[in-house]
Amino acid sequence: MIDWPHWLPLLAVLPLVGGVLTPLLFYRLPTAACFWAASIAALTLAVAVALLVRLLGSGGFGYAVGGWLPQYGIELRFDEIGALAVAAGFIALLSLVFSRHYVARAVDPDRAPLYYALVLINLGGLNGFLVTGDLFNLFVFMEIFSVSAYALVAMAREPIAALAALKYLLLGALSSLLVLFSVGVVFAMTGTLNIADAAMRLDASEPMPAALALAGLAAGFAVKAALFPVHFWLPDAHAAAPAPVSAMLSALVVKAGVVGMLRTLELFGGAGELLQPLLILMVWLGAAGALGGALMALVQRDIKRMLAYSTVANIGYIFIGLGLATASAAAGAMVHVVNHAVIKSALFLAAGAIIHRTGLRNIDDLRGLGQRMPVTCFAMALALVSLSGVPPTAGFIGKWQIALGALDAGKPLLVAVLVAAGVIVLAFGIRVINALYFRPPARMSVATATDSPASMWLPLVILAFGCIGLGLAGQPMLQFVAPAVQGLYGIVP
Amino acid sequence: MNVLATALGHVDYLVAVALFLIGAWILVTSGNLVKKVIGLNVMETSVFAFIVTTGMIDGGAPPLVVEGMEGPYASPLPHALVLTGIVVAVSITSLALVLILRVKSQFGTIELDEIVPTDEVRGAEDSDAIGGNDD
Repeated sequence: MIDWPHWLPLLAVLPLVGGVLTPLLFYRLPTAACFWAASIAALTLAVAVALLVRLLGSGGFGYAVGGWLPQYGIELRFDEIGALAVAAGFIALLSLVFSRHYVARAVDPDRAPLYYALVLINLGGLNGFLVTGDLFNLFVFMEIFSVSAYALVAMAREPIAALAALKYLLLGALSSLLVLFSVGVVFAMTGTLNIADAAMRLDASEPMPAALALAGLAAGFAVKAALFPVHFWLPDAHAAAPAPVSAMLSALVVKAGVVGMLRTLELFGGAGELLQPLLILMVWLGAAGALGGALMALVQRDIKRMLAYSTVANIGYIFIGLGLATASAAAGAMVHVVNHAVIKSALFLAAGAIIHRTGLRNIDDLRGLGQRMPVTCFAMALALVSLSGVPPTAGFIGKWQIALGALDAGKPLLVAVLVAAGVIVLAFGIRVINALYFRPPARMSVATATDSPASMWLPLVILAFGCIGLGLAGQPMLQFVAPAVQGLYGIVP
Repeated sequence: MNVLATALGHVDYLVAVALFLIGAWILVTSGNLVKKVIGLNVMETSVFAFIVTTGMIDGGAPPLVVEGMEGPYASPLPHALVLTGIVVAVSITSLALVLILRVKSQFGTIELDEIVPTDEVRGAEDSDAIGGNDD
């Protein structure tokens, strides 16, 4: 059963088809769309888990779409990076469950089926992006999750939602075109679109076009990943979107940019000398993003904007790890991709629950909420502690490994940057926890608030305990991503 | 001389890159949202033109395996790619235009520097505050 070959395409096809059908099936009963979307996401998660079990048993495997041989047709590949699909399915499922009560207020009720359709299509695009082994297919799936993300941001009733979505769209489309242009250059150079095949044909014998393609891909994916200094679309878009969408955007869509960067590193593994300047740039921009993002988060008053800037900081961490290019730092960065996804979705969902129950989003207004919404605030506090990287929580492993990698690479100054950014993150974490638990309420809506319904606190609590669980599972996860690290930077085993 | 010859040999690529940069310039510098979308479309066209020309072969035959048609064949793959790319571009353009309509109805303008974000929805009304506790 687990060896049935067609599980792999199902990973992308199932949510895409389910998403397209949602508005058709639930045009007249918008409230039922939630159950449909959650069951599709659960099935997708089950498929992803089945693929993960097979990956653990027998290593990476491929699938030739339509029976065409990989070099000619489209190839799907499930490897350690593609295994992020499990996290994607998990977080999408919990976000959809959370959406049930949230969306009724945050989105026009008639549009609820469209909202669920877009979330499912977003999940399908992400899954396809994670498992494809074909460059053009990579672009197509990237557009599927990007366009659905633009539309999801615009779904919110926030007054700035349309403008934030438009800014996100213009910058996102620019980055997509850079990627497509580079795919064209790679195709013109190698005559193939298969990533593994092109990686073998690309070398440094033609440095000019190869450097052009590398620069285009890196710049394009850096915008998608919101790497400093091209992060400025992110705070508006993530703060304006409905909370479950913010969770998916920060946890998954931004990480797809990181995965795109990983695929770029795989693609240019054979032209190692071209990668060196890019890796140095990644470390510098990552360090600037980690410090700048954390500082900007510290001065925000709006809780969702604060979380959005903290995403910029964490993307900075991940890029430092990838740019250092040592085994421990790169493995730490990959683990941090998953861990930050769980932490940040917990935080955005908690913020969403608070906004849903009180209508307040200013941190100072939330004083004293810990007594009124104990479960939500507990989850939020746990995730905030985890975000700052206190051991043994999930945020610790990635940062520790990246710091070790910085020492290995002989850059002790970077460790200082990492510690400084960590301290700033802890500072704003403590600021929020202090407001929630140790200050008297200043707003009537706080003093009369009640805790969120089960469909909201259950996903939150699962994610909050995931923050601890992933922290304890650090060693197995590092071992799991080790083979993927081998494939980067041209260190082919 | 050598560089010039190489450049003239790939004049189509140069045109594509020039168009791409023109489009990017419009997209980044223009303050008018519709003009930004037009810049985006110019960029899209340049990328599509570039990909189509990569499939061209001097004196190449149409890629049809029939009697009397002999190689070298032009590559048919870029056309399939560009067709997909055009579909994506159309959907992005339409979404962008709809969003511009919404921006126009909310702010009354499509010039970026005339848009003043309203901050009133942030935070709660003052009637919500508990008296004397607001330090």
